[in-house]
Amino acid sequence: MASNTTHIAPQADLLKEIEELRYQLQEANDTVEAIRTGQIDALIVAQGDGHQIYTLKSADHSYRVFIEKMSEGAVTLNSQGDIQYCNSSFASMIDRPLANVMGEPFIHFVTEGSKNYFKELVQEGWNNDCKGEIWLHRGDQGRVPVQLSLTALDLENGMSLSIIITDLTVQKATQKQLKDNNRELEASNNDLQQFASVASHDLQEPLRKIQVFSNLIREKQAELTPDLNTYLGKIIDSSARMRALIIDILTYSRLSAKNITRQPVDLYELVNELRCDLEIVIQEKNATITIDPLPVIPANKGQIRQLFQNIISNALKFSKPGLPPRIDISCKYLSEKSFDSAEATGGPFCVIRIKDNGIGFDKKYASNIFALFERLNTKDAYSGTGIGLAIAKKIVDKHNGLITATGKEGDGAEFMIILPVR
Amino acid sequence: MSIKKILLAEDDLDDQVLFRSFLEHRRDIDILPIAENGVVVFDILEKIDGEEYLPDIIILDQNMPKRSGLQTLQLLKKTNRYNDIPVFVYSTYMDDKLKAECMANGALAVITKPVTKDGYNGLIDGFLKDAL
Repeated sequence: MASNTTHIAPQADLLKEIEELRYQLQEANDTVEAIRTGQIDALIVAQGDGHQIYTLKSADHSYRVFIEKMSEGAVTLNSQGDIQYCNSSFASMIDRPLANVMGEPFIHFVTEGSKNYFKELVQEGWNNDCKGEIWLHRGDQGRVPVQLSLTALDLENGMSLSIIITDLTVQKATQKQLKDNNRELEASNNDLQQFASVASHDLQEPLRKIQVFSNLIREKQAELTPDLNTYLGKIIDSSARMRALIIDILTYSRLSAKNITRQPVDLYELVNELRCDLEIVIQEKNATITIDPLPVIPANKGQIRQLFQNIISNALKFSKPGLPPRIDISCKYLSEKSFDSAEATGGPFCVIRIKDNGIGFDKKYASNIFALFERLNTKDAYSGTGIGLAIAKKIVDKHNGLITATGKEGDGAEFMIILPVR
Repeated sequence: MSIKKILLAEDDLDDQVLFRSFLEHRRDIDILPIAENGVVVFDILEKIDGEEYLPDIIILDQNMPKRSGLQTLQLLKKTNRYNDIPVFVYSTYMDDKLKAECMANGALAVITKPVTKDGYNGLIDGFLKDAL
């Protein structure tokens, strides 16, 4: 055998030779890298019959750098689908050495499930620019989602198909995360609504019993001491308050659940109806309500009615002792959905102002008053659940509107509601 | 004035007692044995021999085991022998959806359960008027 006849060089010589070869290899690698990254344009190679100069067209240079530096993968395929050129981004995208990619059929790197679609894309790509998403193998185990952009190019050595490959891993992960978060949110939202609804329903049964039996005791008032009568009164008041709270929470949670149906609603008519409904309180408090012409808007009648009822009842409730309440309701059209918007006759939005002469509020609480259970006044002085304005805000939100309030402590409040007119 | 026979379906024992004690003084009504759910309603009705002994008014609690007020209402309206009897549904809580469903299925009125004696009597007054 050949190895038997080989002259065995002294070890030092061998080591020297290895060192030299290693140096040459290093140099060759550096050269390849330099060409790849565009550091050099020409190459002089010593050969047996003199020096040979290899140059690269200078126009190529910037593109070579550009393609090599970009984070997308870039390949060109010949008519057989073999990879003629490939940048290092592509090689690292599929986690393979560059040398193992060049000359290979591209389809080798395409996953089984994507192969058919890839073939279609290539066929289309030779005729028209096209794009598509497929999966590529990554290393030996993994896979990577990518977008391919295919363009046929007429290069020096014939037609070739250029493909830009964008790694969609991060994008897909973000999409999935978003979807998952959305699903979770929806689920927890549903749970919450279900909870609010069930809790409110089931809370009402025992509460009603408390009311019924307290009322039964009240019928035997004569047998009770004044103290016991006072306590009983507190039980009855508290259970009535709790019932109001439960009903308001139910209303609030139902508002979150439903997508609203809209119909044309004549706001002027609606506010007038409300004025009739509130007749007793209005007379009791000797209140005046003035209503300017109001538009017909697309809205959910039940909800919009609740909105105005909550705000007008609020204005009546928080009146100044000794001063008959006065509520002025006016309307202007706006060009855009903003409280800073210019007035515009026939504009797409209207702002409805509900101004009262009641106790008002410190303007530092202006944003708080729409929060759930927010109370600025003690419940002993002013009854209420603290949900009314939260419901109002939710209704306005559902109608793609805006609501805000301004006021001064002791000097009236003004609610402004922007709603789309069309 | 004829005495109206009232059949109540109510699973809650307290509410059964309240219904009787708030209304037993009335001379214009006769409270039949109370059904503890919607299934028993039919047991009671089927045992009644002679159409003149059928109830003049049926009041159904919505929230009952085995068969809810709405389900019982639907069955009553599907049964020839009973579908002319005026039916009312009452419940601790009442939402618009349930109300609309009961009305669509032929309930004459859908009411929230009262919390006082006067409330109960007013309820019956209203039912008697509606059922005429």
